[in-house]
Amino acid sequence: MGQNYLASLSHYVPELLACLTMFGLILIEATYKEEEKGRGFFFLSAYLGLGSVMTFSFFSLSKPAVTIFTNSLVIDPFSSIMKVIMVLGTLLAVYITSQSKDIEGNLKPEFVIMATGVLVGGMLLSSANNMLVLFIGIETLSILSYVLASLRKGDDRSSEAGLKYSLYGGISSGIMLFGMSHIFGVLGTINFTEMAAALKGVETAQLAILMPSFLLFLVGLGYKIACVPFHMWAPDVYEGSPLPVTAFFSIVPKVAGLAALIRISHNFFAVEGALNIGWVGVLSIIGALTMTVGNVSAIGQRSVKRMLAYSSISHAGMMLMGVLVISELGTRSVIFYSLTYLFMTMAAFMVVSFVNDKYGNDHFERFNGLIFRYPLMSIALAVVMFSLAGIPPFSGFVAKFHIFTALLTKKYYVLAIIAGLNSVVALYYYLKIVRLMVLKDAESKDTIGGFNILNQSVVVALTVPVVLLGVFWEKLLLMADGAKIFIQ
Amino acid sequence: MQASSNLLNWILWTPFIGVIGVLLLPKSKENAIRWWSLINTAVTFALTLVLYSKFDTTVPGMQTAFNVKMPWISSFNIFYSLGVDGISLPMIILTGLLFFLCILSSWTVNKQVKGYFALFLFLQSTVFGVFLAMDFFLFYVYWEVMLIPMFFLIGIWGGENREYAAVKFFLYTFFGSILMLVGMVALYYASGKGVDSFNILALQGGKFSSLNLELFGTSVSFAKLFFIFLFIGFAIKVPVFPFHTWLPHAHVQAPTAVSVILAGVLLKMGTYGFLRIAYPIFPAASVHFADAIAWLGLVNVIYGAFCAMAQTDVKKLVAYSSVSHMGFVMLGLAAMTVTGMNGAVLQMFNHGTSTAMMFLLIGILYERSHHRWIVRPDGSKGFGGLYTQLPRFSIVFIIAMFASMGLPGLSGFISEALIFLGIYEKYTTITVLALIGLLLGAAYLLWMFKRMFFGDVIEECKSYTDMNAREIAYMVPLCVAVIVFGIYPAPVLNVMRASVGKLVSMLATY
Repeated sequence: MGQNYLASLSHYVPELLACLTMFGLILIEATYKEEEKGRGFFFLSAYLGLGSVMTFSFFSLSKPAVTIFTNSLVIDPFSSIMKVIMVLGTLLAVYITSQSKDIEGNLKPEFVIMATGVLVGGMLLSSANNMLVLFIGIETLSILSYVLASLRKGDDRSSEAGLKYSLYGGISSGIMLFGMSHIFGVLGTINFTEMAAALKGVETAQLAILMPSFLLFLVGLGYKIACVPFHMWAPDVYEGSPLPVTAFFSIVPKVAGLAALIRISHNFFAVEGALNIGWVGVLSIIGALTMTVGNVSAIGQRSVKRMLAYSSISHAGMMLMGVLVISELGTRSVIFYSLTYLFMTMAAFMVVSFVNDKYGNDHFERFNGLIFRYPLMSIALAVVMFSLAGIPPFSGFVAKFHIFTALLTKKYYVLAIIAGLNSVVALYYYLKIVRLMVLKDAESKDTIGGFNILNQSVVVALTVPVVLLGVFWEKLLLMADGAKIFIQ
Repeated sequence: MQASSNLLNWILWTPFIGVIGVLLLPKSKENAIRWWSLINTAVTFALTLVLYSKFDTTVPGMQTAFNVKMPWISSFNIFYSLGVDGISLPMIILTGLLFFLCILSSWTVNKQVKGYFALFLFLQSTVFGVFLAMDFFLFYVYWEVMLIPMFFLIGIWGGENREYAAVKFFLYTFFGSILMLVGMVALYYASGKGVDSFNILALQGGKFSSLNLELFGTSVSFAKLFFIFLFIGFAIKVPVFPFHTWLPHAHVQAPTAVSVILAGVLLKMGTYGFLRIAYPIFPAASVHFADAIAWLGLVNVIYGAFCAMAQTDVKKLVAYSSVSHMGFVMLGLAAMTVTGMNGAVLQMFNHGTSTAMMFLLIGILYERSHHRWIVRPDGSKGFGGLYTQLPRFSIVFIIAMFASMGLPGLSGFISEALIFLGIYEKYTTITVLALIGLLLGAAYLLWMFKRMFFGDVIEECKSYTDMNAREIAYMVPLCVAVIVFGIYPAPVLNVMRASVGKLVSMLATY
């Protein structure tokens, strides 16, 4: 037994490295004096640590699936690719933090440390093969997120955000545990593989208990993905948090939640039957609502950050469309979507962050005539906006196309149309920023300090895959074939 | 590979080479950018003429000699495949011609010259992509990409209300294309995800007529549902009556050359979509909805004419006249007879030349007057007695106006006559009513002409100068086209006859 655990550790390197990075960063931070500004070494170690996590996750992509720690975790190409996406998201959020002025100097290390902690939770969540591990993953992710949300200690909005987040989070975790205990009561196990086997023999009477229990179980995950109606916390948290934190929230916890949701759907609901119909039905309603509510709320925003944050809710709804198909194609579409979404949203947040630092707010008008001052950045942002709206030849279109193909394999025509109409609504507010940037005259001739050569090249580097993946997406599809592992 | 087999590639990518060239030229060298664009479009136009000369008019359907096919995304069986037939060839030549002339007319654009010409050439590339694509996915990609240069061209170089017009145009078309996208993906599955599942030609022939799908528990005909989807997507572009509201804004706000392209080429993409995709793929559904298409076409004709009559802005008048004239194309499409369809394709070509003339002339006038009021909002005359002031301009204007009115001897007449001949037997009532539309067309054009060109010369008009050599240079080819094809339409008709015949004979079996 003990040897088994030791052998398991060799598959568990990325997570261990992430933990190590977190502790290392705490120690490094302790060596700095409070008033010291630069913290170059701190960020360098953060990049190195996260970079090594990514490298190891990347290399485990090609390895066959294994279950470790007495079947409670599964390391397969799917979980590895989700980890790569999450680590990449964290890395970029850390980069934005290092450059941002929206987050005070002495809070930056705190953010980085806790973001790494959230990442550990997310990685655990994406590999969970056991209800308790899943719960621990969610809690690790959540508790640190509560702190992140209330990062600005003196700020009322930020404290309110943290309190709301933790209240909602506590309640939804409770509900989730309640659901889990019922599921355990019926099936007699908490291991996903054994549960899937036990599900084949359940009777109708047991189904009547199981179905509502699974719904309660869904609450916890839905809350992490911020899907309607569990999204109440999102507006406050997105508004109250500093910009880098919002950027981080809009990708990492969502991907983690989606990964867990995909695994659960594939394990328990892939077989045709009452369970499948109920689960897919609930997910489609939630997904359609999430897309619509996210989009409609994004329209009226004055701040670009909030607009992006709301649109991230709507994109999560779009990804749910890929989840509810419960097929290889659906999973692949979610992987593709989240990877391209990562590039798009991070590039957008980065540009917005620098504008925000210059003017103290990121209202739409601040982008007026940006193309006359920073043509490269404006073109990059325009490309990203068109891509987010799903216009070819950018990768956002390919991602949308994949979701559509996934939906239509199961002949969910209505959902496909709802998703399509939502992207028309989304185009409106994405176009708004392009319009202001390109068609308006500049308000001032100020230079924006954030747009130095380094930052511009990072933004461009993020935009390049957005364009390339829109035309040459065959290669990435092959990588995303990790999803095949589910088809048993 | 023979030289001719890469011809379509060259036509598609030459404008793109032009874009790269413009981007490499320094911003300050404005004249170099203009000349480079002119040469580039001239080469492209010459290439389309080469295509015409090599085109075999006896072959119905695709000309295999020109086909280009390469795998793009093999896991979805998406190909980069180009082809040309008798329906797309007139459109390709029209595109080559109009973009060439529009570069000449854009010589006076002074605002951000580099960006303008780069986007304009990019637009040309995407338009060629739509007319050449033989893969539905590729078609869709070009159809959508085209919106990006259009958005900026209207939004940056347009009139006062340009932003609203650009956004409305973008959102409207995007809405239509989303329905098309859903239809496209559904077709991919319905056709069995095979090698040909995105191949427009292989999808043709009514393979989906008997397919049904479940929607909220009721059984719906697959073909009918997705025909409606495609119809809305294309109808927005045409624009067919309830979907036309973006057009007056986009046309009025767009700069001259962009209006010309919009009216001359982009509107035809809608009707081309019917001929290339909606009709051949869902023939049974097309026949089923023919009545509705005919009535919508009639509404377009009459409603567009009445709207045009009420306008006090001459550009808006011509914009609404486009709605009316595209209604004739829809009538020809609804006829589903050889004569009517030939008329429709010919009308697509002829309307492209005549409306381009009208918009170019209005652009020329606008450069002198800086307004376009026939009657100003305060009731005074905007123009008066132009005939005595601008004799050359007036003569060209008369030719354009009569061509657009459908006067015998000019191009508009032949296509409208063919459409009426083709549709008369099937829809007698509609034909008679549509003839009233023709009358209305004469009424608003002549009335506009009377108010602007006759009467007392108003003070302002005395300072206007007549057309200069450059302006004459780009009007002459269009005048020639309008007159020659009015007397001898065979060069265009011969090209399309075989392909249209093939389509009609397929539709006739349903």
